[in-house]
Amino acid sequence: MFINEPLTDFTIESNRTKFRDALSKLDSKIQSGIAVKPIINGENIDCATKITSTDPSDPSIVVGTVDHAGAAEADKALKVLNAAAQEWRNVPFKKRAEILKNAARIMRDRKFEINALICREAGKPWAEADGDTAEAIDFCDYYADEMLRLGPPQKMGSVPGEDNIYFYQPRGVGVIISPWNFPFAITCGMAVAALVTGNTVAIKPSDQTAIIAHKLVEILLEAGFPGNTIAFLPGRGSVIGSNMVRSPNVDFICFTGSQEVGLDIIQSASVVHPGQRNVKRVIAEMGGKNAAIIDEDADLDEAIKGVLHSAFGYAGQKCSACSRAIVVGDVYETFVERLCNAASDLLVGPAKEPSTFMPPVIDIASQKRLLGQIEKAQSEIKLAFKGKVPSVGNFVPATIFRDVPVSHWIWSEELFGPVIAVTKARNFDEALDFANNSPYALTGGVFSRSPVNLDKARRDFRVGNLYINRKQTGALVYRQPFGGFKMSGVGSKAGGPDYLIQFMEPRTITENTMRKGFAPKVD
Amino acid sequence: MSNVAWKIEVEETSEMSSVNQKTIEMGKDIFAKINRHKPSILNKKFWSATMMEWSMKNPELKVNMFRFVDVLPTLRSSGSVAKHLSEYLSPVTKKMGALFHWATTVHPLSPRALLTSVGARFGVTQMATQFIAGQNAQTAESPLKSLRREKIAFTVDLLGEYCLSEKEAEAYLERYMEALTVLGKRIHHWPESKPIIQGHPGESTPLCISVKLTALYSQCGPLNVEKSVEVLSERLSRIARKAREVNALIYVDAEDSGNNEIIYKTYKNVFGSAEFKDFPYPGIVVQAYSSAASGILDDLLEFSRTRGNPISVRLVKGAYWDHETISCEQNNWPCPLFKNKESSDANYEAMTRKLIDNHKLIFPAFASHNIRSLSHACMYAESKGLAPKDFELQMLFGMADPICFAYRDRGYLIRQYVPLGEMLPGMGYLIRRLLENTSNESFLRHTFFDQDKIEDLLAEPQMRD
Repeated sequence: MFINEPLTDFTIESNRTKFRDALSKLDSKIQSGIAVKPIINGENIDCATKITSTDPSDPSIVVGTVDHAGAAEADKALKVLNAAAQEWRNVPFKKRAEILKNAARIMRDRKFEINALICREAGKPWAEADGDTAEAIDFCDYYADEMLRLGPPQKMGSVPGEDNIYFYQPRGVGVIISPWNFPFAITCGMAVAALVTGNTVAIKPSDQTAIIAHKLVEILLEAGFPGNTIAFLPGRGSVIGSNMVRSPNVDFICFTGSQEVGLDIIQSASVVHPGQRNVKRVIAEMGGKNAAIIDEDADLDEAIKGVLHSAFGYAGQKCSACSRAIVVGDVYETFVERLCNAASDLLVGPAKEPSTFMPPVIDIASQKRLLGQIEKAQSEIKLAFKGKVPSVGNFVPATIFRDVPVSHWIWSEELFGPVIAVTKARNFDEALDFANNSPYALTGGVFSRSPVNLDKARRDFRVGNLYINRKQTGALVYRQPFGGFKMSGVGSKAGGPDYLIQFMEPRTITENTMRKGFAPKVD
Repeated sequence: MSNVAWKIEVEETSEMSSVNQKTIEMGKDIFAKINRHKPSILNKKFWSATMMEWSMKNPELKVNMFRFVDVLPTLRSSGSVAKHLSEYLSPVTKKMGALFHWATTVHPLSPRALLTSVGARFGVTQMATQFIAGQNAQTAESPLKSLRREKIAFTVDLLGEYCLSEKEAEAYLERYMEALTVLGKRIHHWPESKPIIQGHPGESTPLCISVKLTALYSQCGPLNVEKSVEVLSERLSRIARKAREVNALIYVDAEDSGNNEIIYKTYKNVFGSAEFKDFPYPGIVVQAYSSAASGILDDLLEFSRTRGNPISVRLVKGAYWDHETISCEQNNWPCPLFKNKESSDANYEAMTRKLIDNHKLIFPAFASHNIRSLSHACMYAESKGLAPKDFELQMLFGMADPICFAYRDRGYLIRQYVPLGEMLPGMGYLIRRLLENTSNESFLRHTFFDQDKIEDLLAEPQMRD
C-alpha cells in the first residue's frame, strides 16, 4: 500500500536545526552566485538573455541568474526529444518506474536542501516548503507504483480461437508548463507522470522559480532518466511556451497555471500544423475561487482555524485557497469578528523566519496588482479587516471583506492573494447556491455538524475536492487526488488513479489463433 | 555478578513484592469500602447513567450520542435541537424498538420539539454539572466550599475555547486573574479553609489553580518556540504574581506532547527566575503514557536541584492518547505514547517510585482514578517512610467520588481538579470525561460497569510495549 512521505516533525529540535543549516548553506551558495542554464541532451546551453530570480521576502537579494532559452533552443530540444522518444518508449516500464523510485530516494536524502531553496526562491514558509518537497516525493513514489499497475498488458474478453490484449503506449513528446506556487511538487508531478509512462519532456518552468525547477531536473537526471529524455527550457512564456505549444513535434501539453493562459494553450494546441502527428492532448489545471460554508451549528474554533489557514496560508497563493466564506444565519457576526481578530495576530514576515505564518507574495507585479484590486474593492464593498505588513518584501496585507454581494466581481474573480470575501446566507440551501455560483469548481469547504446538511453538501456542493470540517488546502497524493472541473481545468486528478492514463494511448490487439481448425486452449 | 550485588538485588525484589502485596491488600480494602457504589455519572438516579449504559452497549449509538452532546450547546432554537436529535439518533434507534425510535424522531416544527429541546438541554446540563463546578469563580464558590467541608482540597481550572487571537488570549488570562482575585478575597475567610492535614505543603493555602498554558498565546507552535516561551513566560509570570498576592499555589497543566517543549521551557523559565525562585512548590505535570516521561522527570529533578527550592509534580497517565495516536498515524510519525494501556500503568508505577525516592526535591501528587495505581503509590510511600503529609492524591471533580472518599478516610490528602467554565467551551472537556468513563480501557468502566474481578483490577501491570 502507498504511504505518504511524512511531513517533517518540527517539534523535534534537530529538524529545526537541519532547516536552519540548510538555509545558511544556501546563503553562502547565493553569495558565491548561482547560475542556471537550459539543459538539452544533458548539456548546459549558454544563452545571451539572462534574467535574475529574486527573493520575494527581500527583492534586493538575487537568488541566482537564469539563462533564457529562445525559439532556436526550443526547436533543437524538441528534435532531440523526438528522436529519444523512439527509444525511451521501448525501455521496459519496470525500468522507468525504478528510475522514478531512485528520484524519490534522492529527494528524500536532500530534503532540507530542497526545502531551503523553495523557502528562498518561492518565498514559502518552512512548513509549506517542506510540504512542497514531500508532495514531489509522493508523486514519484505513487506514479512509479501506478506505472507498475498499468504497465502489464491486460487480457480482455476472449473466446476460443481469439486473443484480445489491451495495453497503453506513450503519447510521444510532451511540454510541461509549470507554475511558481508549487515550484517543486507540481513541476515534478507533471514531468514524472509523462516520463514514467514513456514520454520525453520539455520542461518550461515559471521564471519566478526556475532555479527550483533546475534542481528538480538535476535530480531526475541523477536518478537515471537519460539526458535525451528531458529538456530544461526556462524562457519567456510568450516566446518559447507558445512556440512549443504550436510545434508539430509536440504531442501533448501539461499545464498548471492561470485560466487565461490555460485557455490560450487549449486554443493554440487545437490548430493542426503541417507535419503534426497527433491531435494534441492538453491537460490543464487552472484556477479556483473556492468557498467555505460555515453552518449555524459549526464548531467555530475549527471553522475559523480552517478558513484562516486556507485563506492566508502562503498568502492565499494556492489554487485550492479559500477566497469566499459563506456563513449561515446567526453565527455570522461572531464568525466575522473572531476571524478578523485571528487574522490580525497572524505572524507576517520573511519566509526564512520559522515563525512566519504569512509570507510575501511572489513578485512586485503580483503585489501591485493585488494592492490595486484591494483598493478598488474597498471603495465598492465593506472592508472588515486589513492587516499590517513589513516594509521590505512583496507583502500584501491579509484582507477580509464582509457583506459581499454575490454579484460583485470579487465573488467570482480569482485574485490569488490573501483576500477573502465573506457573506451571509439565510439557510444552508442558500449557502450551497452561493457556493456553486462560480465559474470555477476546484475545492470547497464545509463546516457543519448536521448529518443531513452534510449529506446535502456531499451531493450538491459540486467541486473537485470537497473538505468537510477541516481546511481545504493541503491535498495529499493518493489520499486526496486533486483537481477540478468547470473553468478550473481539464484532465483528471493529480495524485489519483486516473492521472497516468492521460499521458498514454490505449491500444487493442486482436489475434485469430485458429489455424486450419486448430486453436490453442484458452486458460 | 558479585555476591554483594546479588544480595542487593534479592532484597530489592523482595521489597518490591512486599509492596505489591500491600498494594493488593490496600486495594481490596478500598474496593470493600466503595462497595461498588457507583460514582454519580454512573448512578442510576441520573439521566446520564442511562445514556452511559446505552452507549457502552452500543458503539454506534455512543458515537452519535456524543456527537449530539458535542453540538448541543451551539444550537439556538428548539427546532434546531429537535432536528439534530433526530438526525443523529433516529437512524440508530430504528434498531432499538418503537419507543426509542419515536422518542428520538421529532419534527423540528412539531409541538414536541420544544419539549425535546428542553429535555435534551436539561440532560446535558445535568451531566455537565457533574464535571464542571460552575461557570466562574462566583458560582463555583459553593461547590468548592462543599468540597473542603468534605475534607477534599481542590485545584481550579478554567475551561477555554481554542485560542485564535491575542484578544482571546488576553481574555483568558483575564479570567485567571479574576478567578484568583475573587477566590483570593473569599476563600481565606472560610471556616473550611483550615488545613486538612497539618504540615502538608499543599495545605499551606486552600487556594490552588491549574493553568493551561497554550491557551494564553494564540501563535503557539513548534516553529515559534522562542517567541512562544517568551510570551508565555510573561503571561505566566503575571498569573504567578497574582497567585503570590492572593496566596495561591499553581499547577501548569500538560497538553499534547507537541507542546511539551514550550510548556516545560516556560515553566522552568518562570519558576527558575530570580522573582519566582522561592515560589512555593510550583506544580508541573508528567504524563506516564509517554516513553519520554522518564527523561522529563530526570530533567525536572535537575531543575529542582538548581532551583534550590522544591517543586511539585502531578503524575498522570495522560488524557490525549486517542488524539495523539490518531494524529501520529495521519502524519506517519512514530508515536511517543505507549500502545498498550497496561504499559502506561506499569510506567506510572515506575515513575511513582522515582518520585517517591526523590520526594525532597519534588513533592509528588499522584493523579489517577485507578485503585491499583493509587494504592501502589500509598504503599510504596509507606515503605519508604513517607507520611501522608509528604505527598497527595489527585482526582477529577465528579469522576469517582466513592474512590476519593475511601482514600480520604485512610488519611490521605485528596485534591480534586475542578474545571470552571461555560457550557460551550466545556463540551470538549465533558466529552473527554464521557469517553474516559465508557472506553474499553477505562478503569472506572471495569470497576463500576463491567464489575471485573477485583484480583484482575489489582494485578501488577507489566510493560507490554
